[in-house]
Amino acid sequence: MPRWAMVIDLDKCTGCQSCTVACRMENNVPFAGQEATDAGRAMYWNQVFTHIEGEYPDVKATIIPRPCFHCDNPPCVKVCPVGATYVEEENNLVLQRYERCIGCRYCAVACPYGVRYFNWYEPEWPASTESYQNPSVPLRPKGVIEKCTYCVHRLPEPVPACVQACSSGARYFGDLDDPESEVTELARGPRAIRLLEDLGTEPRCIYLKEG
Amino acid sequence: MPGFSRRTFLKVLGVSTTAATASELRPGGLLLRALTDEEKTALQAPQEQWLPTVCGQCPAGCGIMVRVVEGRAIKIDGLPAHPSNRGKTCPKGQNGLQVLYDPDRIQGPMRRVGERGAGDWQAVSWEEAIAEVAGRLSELRASGEPHTAVVLAGRVQGQMEGLLRRFCQAYGTPNYVDHDSISMATTKLAHQYAVGHHALFGYDWENTNFLLSFGVAFLEAYQPTVRNLLSHGIMRRGRPHQRARIVQVDTRFSVTASKADEWVPIIPGTDGALALGMAYVIISEDLYDHDFVTNHTFGFEDWTDDAGVTHLGWKTLVLRDYAPGQVEGLTGVPSSTIARLAREFASTPPAVAIANRSTSMQSNGLFNQMAVEALNALVGSFGRAGGPMIQRAAPYLPWPEVRLDSIAQQGLGQPRIDHAGGDRYPLAKTVYQQLPESIANDDPYPVNALFLYYTNPLFSSPEVEPVREALKKVPFVVTFSPFLDESSQYADLILPDHVFLERLQDVEMVPSTGYPVVGLRQPVIAPLFDTRHSGDVLLEVARKLGGTVALAFPWQGFEELLQYRVNGLWRSEQGDIIATEYQYFWEEFRLRSLWSDPPYRFGEWRRVFNTPSGRYEFHAQGLKADLDEAAGGEDRIDDLLARMDVQARGDEAFLPHHEAPRFVGEPAEYPFFLNTYKLMTHAEGRGANQPHLQEILGTFLNQTWDSWVEINPRVANHLGISDGDQVWIESPLGERLQVRAVLFEGARPDVVNIPFELGHEAYGRWARGRGVNPNRLVVNDTNPLTGSLNPYATRVKVYRA
Repeated sequence: MPRWAMVIDLDKCTGCQSCTVACRMENNVPFAGQEATDAGRAMYWNQVFTHIEGEYPDVKATIIPRPCFHCDNPPCVKVCPVGATYVEEENNLVLQRYERCIGCRYCAVACPYGVRYFNWYEPEWPASTESYQNPSVPLRPKGVIEKCTYCVHRLPEPVPACVQACSSGARYFGDLDDPESEVTELARGPRAIRLLEDLGTEPRCIYLKEG
Repeated sequence: MPGFSRRTFLKVLGVSTTAATASELRPGGLLLRALTDEEKTALQAPQEQWLPTVCGQCPAGCGIMVRVVEGRAIKIDGLPAHPSNRGKTCPKGQNGLQVLYDPDRIQGPMRRVGERGAGDWQAVSWEEAIAEVAGRLSELRASGEPHTAVVLAGRVQGQMEGLLRRFCQAYGTPNYVDHDSISMATTKLAHQYAVGHHALFGYDWENTNFLLSFGVAFLEAYQPTVRNLLSHGIMRRGRPHQRARIVQVDTRFSVTASKADEWVPIIPGTDGALALGMAYVIISEDLYDHDFVTNHTFGFEDWTDDAGVTHLGWKTLVLRDYAPGQVEGLTGVPSSTIARLAREFASTPPAVAIANRSTSMQSNGLFNQMAVEALNALVGSFGRAGGPMIQRAAPYLPWPEVRLDSIAQQGLGQPRIDHAGGDRYPLAKTVYQQLPESIANDDPYPVNALFLYYTNPLFSSPEVEPVREALKKVPFVVTFSPFLDESSQYADLILPDHVFLERLQDVEMVPSTGYPVVGLRQPVIAPLFDTRHSGDVLLEVARKLGGTVALAFPWQGFEELLQYRVNGLWRSEQGDIIATEYQYFWEEFRLRSLWSDPPYRFGEWRRVFNTPSGRYEFHAQGLKADLDEAAGGEDRIDDLLARMDVQARGDEAFLPHHEAPRFVGEPAEYPFFLNTYKLMTHAEGRGANQPHLQEILGTFLNQTWDSWVEINPRVANHLGISDGDQVWIESPLGERLQVRAVLFEGARPDVVNIPFELGHEAYGRWARGRGVNPNRLVVNDTNPLTGSLNPYATRVKVYRA
């Protein structure tokens, strides 16, 4: 059973958000509009965050893209009362059974990385925009949780849409249990970090530090 | 990037993996066994193809492939074989389907029936529309006024540029006006005078070790974006133990600045001075490339001409005027930083300095750009791996000669409507932003017909409103836009083009790789609406006009014209497609959507330096020759320089030097420089009708769906402005815009920043009525010498709303 993992090199990442749009297009994530976005209800399975610190002229910005971390020890699965959030056996990925989800949002609270999005509204695909819906990915109704799947529907070709699109070549994807894989090698390197490691979630998204 | 898998390969070839299986299993064939589960799935699976084409979201020309399932385009990815974007895409490229499936696209040709701008339209047939255009154009020729027809062109790609220019020529108007003067005109002009090529440079980033950028949005909006982003990754982490150093000189802490090793904030308009200060250190500490400077440059040392007159060398000028202490006062950059940057730049070869908008689009922009380019010459980066490259042109078959009738000859003899190349703007090739004034004053003559091709002057021009008056005044306005943008609303006729995913067109890659790359844009689905290829429309109009105009276009349709020109690629027997017959070449070209002719060879000095001296010219002889001609003699050049607001005299005027930049607005009343900048999502202002792009608009500052102005927090505090407050930004035009304040430590205390993109009054449901268009504040301050707009010349005041 593979342990699919993503490595993101923060030194290469330029925050262009090609990943964000590629993900939305691939996974039928609708846009939310201004009102919903202002209310924090837009869904980005792969969001890019920027943190700016310091005072002029000594300013520093950190750009971090964030997919689901598909933790080895996923807190979201433990809290789901109905088994909608589960670890899929074939690929060892943390996935969501939309038809079983009751929208309680326990998982969204339990996830320390904030990767889970609740469908606050009936998804809208105005006029002709439904034409570009991807038939390989199901649409989600109002009232359920959704999130990044590492593009499970594209497996066995292990190239999630964000990895394929990444314009600075900052993303790597592969099997952590394969000692020969690029991700294994990078994850062992001196720049590798995992977010909130002390929580014991064992995330399978590994960042490479800048500099 | 993982290896080129079989599946990917088939995708690229446009072969459907499932279809291949299914066709073997079609009912009716000999099938003597039950289907396996896998075969059943394959039969039921939707028919899927990946079709190669060329992106149209910006001018770069990246190769893309589009996943098409049962006639619907559902995903875009990069074309792996394309040498520029190598299988990658930017967010705009990913989002092309929101252009194709925009519910507010124009669905067929329309004629205005109500008042201009009222939005009352009536559908017309293509035959009717084309007949009307041809009729109007015929009348103008009949009355001997073909020159009063003007083509305003924005994003022209491939043969569309040649076709439009040729149409103007055969028809008899000198008025093909493109948008370079509000874009890259000055940079190209500086290159022309330095190396003899009126073009942008390509760069060999993979081998560059030091990138010094003067205000270039390298990671946001500098073509070709994807190649830059990829190169950034390679420069930083793609070469073991060789991490390139990147320094961003900028008036704002941009994404590029944030990813650089160092951000050097600078007083607007003084980038050239900083480059000269660095040159001082490099020269005085003897860090320059003697071999290159001696053998491949002109005008470095003092020199004597054939008449025995001694001329000022650039070295003397630099050592005389630009000591770091001096430059510190001009730029606000500490002299210790200047010296350090200079030493780093000279000691980290190959080092490259680049500059554009905020450096070149200033009153002193030509000289700023020349000064930055001179750094590259000083350290010998030209002609060396890792340095600038002069891109070879694709060997298209030359256009056949155009025969001009007497009407056309007469028309072409008229001065240009934008005064480019005339007394007012002697060095300009085009002055886009001059049009409203020319039209208002019938100067030098009235405009009777205006054609808009992929440009939206009522959004992109400085001041904006004068364009509205101009569009109201011109008796016949035609647009080819597929979208009802601001300018199209004032048209008499809309002849909507296909969008890029429905269109056949060649796209020659913008300067980047150094060698020519031609992509073939091909329709991935049939046109959704009753739109028509603008090339076909123009050819039809030409046929209807008859005579020499029709003779200039012997092609039945755009595809035939395209094949005529592309035939040259085949005949050249160069590049990566060699075929015995043209037909095979064309088939292969269609299959790949790509032709290229690598590699780039460094050291082709004769080709690279196409100047009077055959060298890199510190002393720009081309500039001097052009000014001599414009002045009507060498002895009158000083008068001309005075008229052109150039402060230098004598040799200094032809050398990279610094002049005090000119701004509009008294500092006491208008204390801030206005900096308008481009976001990744910008796409030349065409991204605002794409909701996914709106939703990632300004992630750097956590902004979406609305405009903002960036103000330094301490300055804002002083003005009583808090983060999120509504403020007014007012310019000397008397125009003011209300916009939300974002307090940003990356804003200089003397600069406020507003991004482009929003502020549309038209352009579909997602663009209209959202945010502000900062162009409304920008004074139409045009550089007399170059005809380029100085969009950074405007000062503003800021106060609470």
